Amino acid sequence: MQEAIPYKSQMAARSRLHNFLEGAVNDGGRRLVTNGSGTSVTKLVLENAVIVFGRRGCCMCHVVNRLLLGLGVNPAVCEVDEGKEEAVLNELSIINSGGIQFPAVFVGGKLFGGLDRIMSTHITGELVPILKEAGALWL
Amino acid sequence: MFSFYNYVLCCLFMLFFSSSLYISMYCFLPDFKLSNAYNINLTCTKAASIISSRSMDFPSTQFVPSRTMGTYEPIHQIGMWGENFKSIDSPNISPSMIVDVANKLENESETTSHELLAPSGKYDQDASKPLDKIQRRLAQNREAARKSRLRKKTYVQQLENSRLKLIQLEQELERARQQQGLYAGGALEVGHLGISGAVNTGIAAFEMGYERWMEEQNKLICELRSALNAQTSDIELRILVESGMSHYLELFRMKSGVAKADVFYVMSGTWKTSAERFFSWIGGFRPSELLKVLVPQIDPLTDHQILEVCNLKQSCQQAEDALSQGMEKLQETVSATLASGQMGQGTYLPQVAIAMEKLEALVNFVNQADHLRKETLQQMSYILTTRQAARGLLALGEYIQRLQALSTVWANRPREPA
Repeated sequence: MQEAIPYKSQMAARSRLHNFLEGAVNDGGRRLVTNGSGTSVTKLVLENAVIVFGRRGCCMCHVVNRLLLGLGVNPAVCEVDEGKEEAVLNELSIINSGGIQFPAVFVGGKLFGGLDRIMSTHITGELVPILKEAGALWL
Repeated sequence: MFSFYNYVLCCLFMLFFSSSLYISMYCFLPDFKLSNAYNINLTCTKAASIISSRSMDFPSTQFVPSRTMGTYEPIHQIGMWGENFKSIDSPNISPSMIVDVANKLENESETTSHELLAPSGKYDQDASKPLDKIQRRLAQNREAARKSRLRKKTYVQQLENSRLKLIQLEQELERARQQQGLYAGGALEVGHLGISGAVNTGIAAFEMGYERWMEEQNKLICELRSALNAQTSDIELRILVESGMSHYLELFRMKSGVAKADVFYVMSGTWKTSAERFFSWIGGFRPSELLKVLVPQIDPLTDHQILEVCNLKQSCQQAEDALSQGMEKLQETVSATLASGQMGQGTYLPQVAIAMEKLEALVNFVNQADHLRKETLQQMSYILTTRQAARGLLALGEYIQRLQALSTVWANRPREPA
């Protein structure tokens, strides 16, 4: 991957461990809040190896999280409030020049897809190498 | 002006006397054919014509014979009509008879009216009073005929509606019987007889489609069986495998269609047999379970294949776990929504409305589960050779047939009297 992902390796590892433990207590992933402004969302996408955007309380989003957690990934989860949905969607489509639906998974700063794509790539065995490449899995 | 109806009523009077005249007719008219005697109506008409040709001593028998036999038909029917006159409102009267009479009258009034030549005006004054009554009665008859025609129409429409409702009710009953263990006492099913027509049509269409699909599936299984036993070439096997795969894809398409109409129907698995339903997971089989059942049937596998199949089993299991946890969360959400607010006052429409929104996610779950099944099936077809895939499809088909046989035997098992 050629993108400049601003990791500071030791700090990142420590925070990942901390977040993983935290995530195990919650029902998945690190909770992040966005205020829907452009820079904030883009920053989130770039800062995290794996980030899942979804509506608050969405069960499909929950499925994605559980699947990724089961693989050993600790995804960042951004729960979007109802009012801010549109703003976030717009912002994400700008990054991605395309239509986006919730739940939306970004891997390595790029849009990966929705639950459909996650399932298909997981069954064909392509998901894990992609995650490893993005630095979300390191085993 | 001598009206047609006067003419008609005169004929009525004629008929009253016709039977008594019959014998005298026979004596006076050598050309009166005996064979006609069996046809009373013809007798009447002939008598009428003959009477008219002679000078009559009957009062108010103003009657102009027409040249064509056709005009006598109304007389015949009017005779019947007259007999039914008194009992026109009786339900035993076949509406069709009255309809026929009325129709023919209306059809032929035009043809006969112009044939009534030389109406004799002088008879009108004598016969005016009874003629008025006669006219009134005729008008009443017409009204009655019209009403009975309308009644027949509404009756037939009601019959059709009842028939449709009966079919729907029978379907409901079937489903309720099948779901005895699954739903809370079938009360839910009986409760929603008010299902919208679109849902019922979707379900009915799916059930018919599934029956056809099952027949086609059994045929495919037989073909696979004979092909594998007969050592056919790989090319032919590939064709069979392809058709088997696309047949399953067809089923997934049908399921997705009916899921949009009624997702609970798909979740309950009503269209399947009871043993199949026992293994139901989000509207179908668990892919990992099927893999466990089928892989031993496809031996021998290469080491590479064994590894790939193992990975596939594991991925399936992980995906199923994730979906199951998602379902649990959905249940929690719906339950929490329904139970929110104070319970006990009997007002809960807002909670129900919000719960409805949450429940829409169930369609997504069914679609994702079917998507997982589809992907697993396709991945297996990539891993396996043609012959192995054929054996796999055959094994899968027979496994389901065995489950169906189990359901039948279970349903027919001898039970101890309660």
